[in-house]
Amino acid sequence: MVRVIVNKVTSSIATIFGASVVAFVLLRVLPGDPARLIAGSLASDEAIAGVRRQLGLDQPLHVQYIRYITDFFTGDWGFSFSSGVPVKEILGSRFPATAELALYAFLFAFLSALVLALLATYREWPVVDGVVRALSSFGLGTPPFWFAILALIVFFEQFGLLPGPSGRLSSATTPPPLLTGFYTIDALVAGQFDILGEAIKHLILPVVSLGLVPFAFLVRLLRANLLEISSEPFIVVVRSKGIGRWLTHVRHALPNAFLPTLTASGLILAELLTGSVLVERIFTWPGVGALVVDSIKRQDFAVVQTFILLSASLYILVNLVVDILYGVIDPRTRIPTTEAR
Amino acid sequence: MAAEREQMTEQTAQPEPNDDLLLRVRGLKTEFVTRRGTIKAVRDVSLDVHRAEKVGIVGESGCGKSALALSILGLISSPGRVVAGEVWLNGRELASLSDREMQVVRGRNVSLIFQDPMTSLDPVMTIGSQITESILKHQRGISRRAARDRAIELLRDVEVPLAERRIDDFPHQLSGGMRQRVMIAIALANDPDLLIADEPTTALDVTTQAQVIDVLERLVEERNAAVILITHNLGVVAEFCDTVKVMYAGRIVEEATTDVLFRAPTHPYTEALLHSVPDPKRLARGPLPTIPGAPPSLADLPPGCSFEPRCPLGQGVEVCLEQAPFPIEVGSPGSIVVSECHFAQDRWAEAHNPTEGVQSHE
Repeated sequence: MVRVIVNKVTSSIATIFGASVVAFVLLRVLPGDPARLIAGSLASDEAIAGVRRQLGLDQPLHVQYIRYITDFFTGDWGFSFSSGVPVKEILGSRFPATAELALYAFLFAFLSALVLALLATYREWPVVDGVVRALSSFGLGTPPFWFAILALIVFFEQFGLLPGPSGRLSSATTPPPLLTGFYTIDALVAGQFDILGEAIKHLILPVVSLGLVPFAFLVRLLRANLLEISSEPFIVVVRSKGIGRWLTHVRHALPNAFLPTLTASGLILAELLTGSVLVERIFTWPGVGALVVDSIKRQDFAVVQTFILLSASLYILVNLVVDILYGVIDPRTRIPTTEAR
Repeated sequence: MAAEREQMTEQTAQPEPNDDLLLRVRGLKTEFVTRRGTIKAVRDVSLDVHRAEKVGIVGESGCGKSALALSILGLISSPGRVVAGEVWLNGRELASLSDREMQVVRGRNVSLIFQDPMTSLDPVMTIGSQITESILKHQRGISRRAARDRAIELLRDVEVPLAERRIDDFPHQLSGGMRQRVMIAIALANDPDLLIADEPTTALDVTTQAQVIDVLERLVEERNAAVILITHNLGVVAEFCDTVKVMYAGRIVEEATTDVLFRAPTHPYTEALLHSVPDPKRLARGPLPTIPGAPPSLADLPPGCSFEPRCPLGQGVEVCLEQAPFPIEVGSPGSIVVSECHFAQDRWAEAHNPTEGVQSHE
């Protein structure tokens, strides 16, 4: 197992290197000059040259690149060119919002897909299966932003059941004392149940909007795999041992059908964690998705470069966890160690 | 266990009390509804299996043997359905049992050994867990530790070497023969009264086949269990079985004790089957005889005898074309043959009194 992880980490470093080169090159070939943006459109050429020198943009590209990498790994992520605030601080204030939304959206998508796929394939229940398939088609065919707007019109405008697009809490509410940055958890720890309730209400619509497509994808995938495994001979053998239908389904069919869903779940989680521009915009959610788009527009190198490397690291981390879980679920994917024959 | 079995026989509501009778199947019909029509996989099959009897069911692929096995266990899954018939086990009618009650029967009173050992075990579970799963299900109150010890014991019984280490292996770490032994261990875990072995040796090489049959034979003898051996390997039948039932197109077309059937088959299909067994002595005399044609589609059966289109005797004969034959009992006491052929009487007489020419059959 240790060797597997070492191998994985080595290949991860290569991936991060690749991501860093792409990030670096792309930002530099984009039109526009950050020095001019910082110095202002009326600044003299000397002033701009001064800014360039200060930022290190007058150095040869490879020197700039090495500085970028060393700074990233030493934790010196620089300042936002546009606002002058340290990148660490900006991302630190934005990321928990995205992470909270992403994790709940993932849990919503994953758990509902799991339960519905199991029910749809458990027995010959054409109605249940039909409903699940319809939900899946609806989810796959519905753009999240459209669903978000529709949900706002119905639940906020029409019935007033849920809060409107006002971010994570109503503007009048003070956030709970900072602990994890997840308002639901922080409020729970602080015992502020009214704030907890409010945070949950604010989460419902963004979570469903964001989780709908992943849900639809996962339920379709898992349903198909469960159906395939259910017709395997070993399922009949398990039943011939006297094991009940449901237990056979959950204990034997599910673990065998689960691997593709696990892989997809990893990718989905990583994608959600790196933010969603449209859904964050619609609900004025103060997450990283909106931040990154704004930073690209402003050619805010420091923010974008850091973000790309962080996302790449996040993807790699999630996939590493998925790879380890693979071995736990399916013994055939375990890489033989020295003790094995 | 023994006490419970006795209790079960006490509740007997069996038509004819018969202590020796273990399984009684009457008029079993199983159909699969598909887009191409209704496939009649089991057509009105009746059979009796006595305690400690070794019954062979032979026939070509697709003649309904496996469907019969699954029907007995109530494991026919959609789109298949048992549409008629009764299955009595130990004097209890199984069709009237709820699924929960049936779960107690499966794996404890009757267990199944499946065709292909490569696909019959859960690939992501250790073989030990797959054996103990059955033990824990049926032996209430047994500890995990005790169940594991019992599983090791079972693996030793079926001659898996290094059982105490192998128990934590996954199926992919074992060879086909070893997996089939594990399957047998699972089937024997709760000392069943009846073992249904559906082509237990088909996927194995000849040496392993012989070993598996040996293991099966020894265990059946030790435990006094009855076996239904479903196979198309007539050699295995001749060696292992007391009685043989020949299946064709979803029906049992001939049944007799193994000796009688192999010596003088009355049904032309049985005869043809016996002729197509590879025999080293005959190899020199040209190609292996085969049965021309293919079994009829179970979705579209001929109106008369289902074997008529391929029958060397009845092909084109009026009675065979128009009337489906009924089972006829022929033979003498002690060697009774039940055969579903219009000419069974004649053929039996011919085989047993070869000097007298037999003309009439009425």
